[in-house]
Amino acid sequence: MTTALLFAQLKLRLLAGNLRGDLQRRLGFVFTLLIAAGLAVLGFFLMSLLRLAPDDIAASLVIVAFTSFLISWMIVPLLAFGLDDTLDPAKLSLFPLRTRELAVGMFTASVTGVWPVATLIVMFGALAGLARGPGGLLLGVPAVLLQFALCVVASRLITTSLSSALRTRRGRDVLGVAALLVVVLAQLPNLLMNRGFGDPEAMLHQMAAVLRWTPPGMAAHAIADGGLVGLAELAGMAALVVLLGWLWIKALSRALVTPDVSTQGASVRKGSGLADRFLPDEPLAAVVIKELKYMRREPRFRVGWFSAIVVTIALSFSLSRSAGGAEGLPIVLTSVGALMIALQAGNAFGIDGRSMWMNAVAFGDRRALATDLAGRRLANALIAVPLLAVIAVATGVFTGHPAMIVPAALAGWGALGIGLGVGSVTSVVLPYSVPERMNAFSGAAPGQGGLAFASALGAAFGVLLLALPLVVPLAFGLLWVSALAPFYGLLAEVLGRRLASGIGYARLPELLAAISKGS
Amino acid sequence: MTTAVATHGLYKRYGRQIAVAGVDLTVPAGSFAGLVGPNGAGKTTTLSMITGLLRPDGGSAEVDGFHVWRDPVEVKARIGVLPEGLRLFERLSGRELLLYNGRLRGIPKADVKQRADELLAVMDLSGAADKLVVDYSTGMRKKIGLAAALLHNPSVLFLDEPFEGVDPVSANTLTEVLQRFTASGSTVIFSSHVMDLVERLCDWVSVMSAGHIVAQGPLADVRGGRSLNQAFLELVGGPRGTGNAGLSWLGAKTAEPGADA
Repeated sequence: MTTALLFAQLKLRLLAGNLRGDLQRRLGFVFTLLIAAGLAVLGFFLMSLLRLAPDDIAASLVIVAFTSFLISWMIVPLLAFGLDDTLDPAKLSLFPLRTRELAVGMFTASVTGVWPVATLIVMFGALAGLARGPGGLLLGVPAVLLQFALCVVASRLITTSLSSALRTRRGRDVLGVAALLVVVLAQLPNLLMNRGFGDPEAMLHQMAAVLRWTPPGMAAHAIADGGLVGLAELAGMAALVVLLGWLWIKALSRALVTPDVSTQGASVRKGSGLADRFLPDEPLAAVVIKELKYMRREPRFRVGWFSAIVVTIALSFSLSRSAGGAEGLPIVLTSVGALMIALQAGNAFGIDGRSMWMNAVAFGDRRALATDLAGRRLANALIAVPLLAVIAVATGVFTGHPAMIVPAALAGWGALGIGLGVGSVTSVVLPYSVPERMNAFSGAAPGQGGLAFASALGAAFGVLLLALPLVVPLAFGLLWVSALAPFYGLLAEVLGRRLASGIGYARLPELLAAISKGS
Repeated sequence: MTTAVATHGLYKRYGRQIAVAGVDLTVPAGSFAGLVGPNGAGKTTTLSMITGLLRPDGGSAEVDGFHVWRDPVEVKARIGVLPEGLRLFERLSGRELLLYNGRLRGIPKADVKQRADELLAVMDLSGAADKLVVDYSTGMRKKIGLAAALLHNPSVLFLDEPFEGVDPVSANTLTEVLQRFTASGSTVIFSSHVMDLVERLCDWVSVMSAGHIVAQGPLADVRGGRSLNQAFLELVGGPRGTGNAGLSWLGAKTAEPGADA
């Protein structure tokens, strides 16, 4: 018990220490706290509303809900590493802790936090909504606690057993992109459901029938049933939790003594690529070459580009279905794709992070920073311009409006220019670090979320405002305006870059400090 | 004597804590200078402010007679920097890092290539030149960082803890390169708290403590017949012979049950 108390105190103290002296982090934490509290209350309320639903539907819904809780606990820490602020067991390995103490301590630390408490509250909502009679209530409390413990232990087991892979660079690189695939896959049922085959109630019962015998299903059933069968189910769950816990501790003690083997890196090709052959031998070429390499090699870049493309494709599917075959659709989709790509440019120096000093000690004037920005924009455009042309052709053909291909491509390029121009300004006005968060044990620098949000919001607002002169005539069907779009976009990019280099050079040390946090 | 680096009343505070409290650092040109001081004395903050990476709250800094914050073009062309922590562009190979660095400073590609090859050879990095920096060891990172700092032939080199975590073989390579560099009339300023190393390499020492320069001058003057370590401890207020007051339990053999679990 003292161990549990000690670890809970340690975790709380770590949380408090993280917030000390930094207003941004404090605001970010308050923001997280509000969202978590809101979700907890809302979830509890929705779950308890199930009391009004027919018994079988309520039971099925809770079965599905509990299963989805378990799955999200297993997957989310791998994707959103920022949420997983568990202690790194490696830091505890030198203390003379027995395995049991370590397990109890790590478990306590895992459940001490905002999100675990929110989950627990929502799960107790199910108890309020589902339990019929005293038996259900009596079994319900242990059922909810067991389900919660199962979520935590399963989540720990997965991150710990993957930790050896996560600690190697290659493993982290792969995971960063693989995580996105999981997100896309998770969207599949959603897309299928939008197609609307079968009635939702039958589908719910079908799903519940399958999930009924999974551990979360058994917990939900135990609450609804409240009889001897429920008791047996809970015993089974408890055994499972203990088993998973044991496996977790085994994996933990193995992970602690397994070294990182990623130092045997492979070599890269020596050539500097096509871009170098066509660009004059100036600093600009150096920046373009470096950026193109980074897009290929840096997982955070890959994730950005990949998600931009995926979002565009997903939007194409859903919009082309809902909007019918509207004529302007290719223009809208290509512009959205351009904005998704340009969005990554809204914090141009963030991924460089601490290594940015190397540029800072070389930049003696405003023009040097402008060259740096220009190189980044050019590298982005080298990929984005052909990509947008492909998107324009694809959307034009698929929506059955081939005549719209050319206006769509032109509008897309214009939108890209506006996005990059605005992005240059937000890059220097609201810079923030993009931590390398591909490690299941070290969380992202907390408190940067608010800043990133403000930056994205500012960028979106700026783009919208600047795009109005194009959007309004296009909305009225004046297609010839799209011929002006690329020039307008280029102008926006150039002006944005000039403004940004002026602001950015004047506050280069502050910019450097802002992007060097936490990584 | 011409001065390579001079600061006047350099001052920096973080909230209520004063990190650098009016530093007047002087380093003559052509010297191999050591900036020594205990942890937290303000060495890194001072070097960051002289190299233009951190904005001072007060005072001024000059490199080769050019004001760091008013003449950044002149200053930045003259200095090479190896900062603390050493985050580099991790996803470039060592060779690509050097090429990027040189071309960013406007040196023609052919020249950069030749210099990079020579630097890689001298630093014994030719074998790892095409591996990504993210996979480099600490010693290799310090060496590639120093190569990048030397690439544009600076006249003053600022190194923050260049020998920390470096194995003896790499350290030897680093010192050889640096000694050659100062022999040609250029200046090296490095921070360290390894007194033996400073005593062996440097001809000029500045001692920092609690945000101030407490002693500064040629090595012989600063140590005044003592070993540098002894002089340093006296300057910054080392152990006063009271180190044995507490800690009576330390080293005492106990037979506590379970202590070895």
